[in-house]
Amino acid sequence: MNPKDYLAYTLGYQLLGKSYLSWQRHSDERAIKALRPAADDPLNPPLVGTARMKELMSRHYLEGRYANGVRKVAWVTSGAPIEVLRALDFFLIYPENHAALCGARRHAEGLCVEAENAGYSRDICSYARTDIGSALSGRTPMGKLPRPDLLLCCTNICQTVLYWYRVLAAHFNVPLYVVDAPFLYDKASDHQLDYVLEQIEGLIPVAEKVAGKRVSRERLQEIMEQGKSCAELWLTIMDRAQHRPSPITAFDGFINMGPIVDLRGEPETFAFYTELLGEIDRRIDNGVGAIRNERKRVLWDNLPVWYKIGKLSRHLGAKGVNVVVSTYTYAWGELAPMMDAADPMRSSARVYLHPILNRSTGDKLRSMREMVAKFQLDGAILHSDRSCKPYSLGQIDQRDNLANDLEVPAVLLEADHSDPRVYSDEQADARLDAFIETMEAA
Amino acid sequence: MLTIPTRADVVRQARERGERVAAVLPIHYPRALLRAHGFQPMEVWGPPRVSVVEGNAHFQAYTCGIVRNATSFLMQGGLDAADVVVVPHTCDALQGMASVLKDFIKPRQPVATIYLPRAVRAVDRGFLAAELRRLAQQLAEIYGLRPSDAELLAAIEREDEADRELRFLAEHRGDIALGDRDYFTLLRAREFLPAESFVEVARSAPRGQAPGGGVPLMISGIVPEPMELFDHINAMGAHVVADDLACCSRRLYRPSGASDPFQRMADSLIDAPLDPTRGSPILERARNVSRRIAECGAKGLLVYDVKFCEPELFDVPLLRKHLTAEGISMLHVEFDMTGSIAQQTLTRIEAFVEMLQ
Repeated sequence: MNPKDYLAYTLGYQLLGKSYLSWQRHSDERAIKALRPAADDPLNPPLVGTARMKELMSRHYLEGRYANGVRKVAWVTSGAPIEVLRALDFFLIYPENHAALCGARRHAEGLCVEAENAGYSRDICSYARTDIGSALSGRTPMGKLPRPDLLLCCTNICQTVLYWYRVLAAHFNVPLYVVDAPFLYDKASDHQLDYVLEQIEGLIPVAEKVAGKRVSRERLQEIMEQGKSCAELWLTIMDRAQHRPSPITAFDGFINMGPIVDLRGEPETFAFYTELLGEIDRRIDNGVGAIRNERKRVLWDNLPVWYKIGKLSRHLGAKGVNVVVSTYTYAWGELAPMMDAADPMRSSARVYLHPILNRSTGDKLRSMREMVAKFQLDGAILHSDRSCKPYSLGQIDQRDNLANDLEVPAVLLEADHSDPRVYSDEQADARLDAFIETMEAA
Repeated sequence: MLTIPTRADVVRQARERGERVAAVLPIHYPRALLRAHGFQPMEVWGPPRVSVVEGNAHFQAYTCGIVRNATSFLMQGGLDAADVVVVPHTCDALQGMASVLKDFIKPRQPVATIYLPRAVRAVDRGFLAAELRRLAQQLAEIYGLRPSDAELLAAIEREDEADRELRFLAEHRGDIALGDRDYFTLLRAREFLPAESFVEVARSAPRGQAPGGGVPLMISGIVPEPMELFDHINAMGAHVVADDLACCSRRLYRPSGASDPFQRMADSLIDAPLDPTRGSPILERARNVSRRIAECGAKGLLVYDVKFCEPELFDVPLLRKHLTAEGISMLHVEFDMTGSIAQQTLTRIEAFVEMLQ
């Protein structure tokens, strides 16, 4: 550990930074509590817990600014098996989450342009362009991202991450470890599970070498238990949307999912979601919905349109439409039952083989159909996300199936999760309005 | 004049031999396994210029043309001769295609998939051998043939021989007296000819100095469709002296020494030339491309990509950067499978050739 770096870390993050962010959170909570929405506002005030989420995420990125020289840093894909890295005290950066934050804060376009100027096509994923643009320019709304000592890429969400991490490996000249997860067209077979398991086991010596220490099995089990608790809690929160009116929207889920992605298994994440669940339950007890006049309940499929979350929630809310659940946010909890701390490696292999994006288009349709029944949905919005092809390919048939077989109106909404240049307010509004009319007539 | 049997001839001959036909999507797959199980592989790289109405009914407009065209072609009856459709897991687009075929379109033919590992470690070799065993089981269930290890090894030997001929053609372009279009038509005959026929045709290719003149180019990308591309390149005063195409030189498989037939097929696939779809490190690939350019004497690299091909697109900037540092010019263009080559694309290639003259 470099003493100068450690001093900066202690002062900038541990002492000053954390205190400031704590003060900021109290201030934000007071502001949310004092909110008195206008009479014509279709939304009830946001969840107060959102202020805690902001604090957690800001702290995470603040620590990242000071992490080099103090903690080993790994950049990881959102579906990567991070338990081994956490057990070795790596500081983790999720470039996808960083790109999503850039999208939500409307910084993605400028960073995409940086990547495009370096020759990266506009046809590649906007998360990748955002992060590559950030790596090339050094610019980020988070201030600064720590340089990685290790890259960990798992192909269980897409092949794009592999291409993207190869670029990062060349740029940073650091080791890239790939956990290749065979796509599940059907039920997982033993050789697929064994393959993922062997790779997760193979990660241990690689990570130990970078970290300069050995991983302990007890710590690994502890981390698995914490991860399972967080995932179960997240799933419980998502399931609260079964209530009528729903106390949360899928947009609340998008906004508050940062910790379950970036900080899953951290004790503070568990505390945050426990607090959030309490607030949601108070809403249920008081009959308060996330939107004021919930008439129709719909599903959101795919990633959010990060730069239009507020606009879309208001546009839909104004028409009495509550997007109560999404396949994307649900994905971060639905595999909790597979986690088994008694057998951390094998259960990790099972979990990391089964994310929704690594399962077939028919399986995703089955999940959507189950959600329609479980959440009593009146319709489905399928975000046809040109930056996320594995999530989007299959949606045309999924939409047709929902509409024709289940008689649930469904619409494809053409957009991109981070690049606002491919989004048209007029076209999106017109499409959603036509969809709402169809629901009304159904 | 070189005589290459047509695909229709190959289908007819396969039937006469009592074999069935497997329509196979790009890129890498175990030819020997299919042959040993009684299937003649017939590769489907699009094809170009089919109406994409059916494909567009299942896939968004931002989906790679190979997927949209192949789906349309299948639904229009273009693959009716096939008894099974094999879709290797090459990329997210082909993953989506296989899944939609299996779950929604449900063609008359069974759909078989194969997952190709994205690294070259021992664990990947072991997995791929197991994956090939799974595919063998599936093929056996479809057709009923269960080849012995000896039969599998014989099929592998036949494919190895065809691969040696392909390698010879690829490494001796200057000694094959065929124009660019005929030469690449010959290389691409490996996409549908049985190994033994390909060996025969390859050996009958006229030897002698390759015609040409003008600017020597190397071509990279997935597939050079439509093949008139080569006529245009020649008319511009250039000729193609080497390739890094997924359908050609990225499939110069080397024989493996493993005794187990499945491991042997797995090793050959895993040790194939560098390819972004298999996760090859970019800088290693760039160094390999620049070395090959130096060897073949090309003055520049034309990267000719199918629109929306992410694995190719991610490599382009670093490939260009590396080649530029080596003093090698590179042009990247994209084409749409649905029509003829856009005039704008041809103009860019022409300007590139003029710059190199």
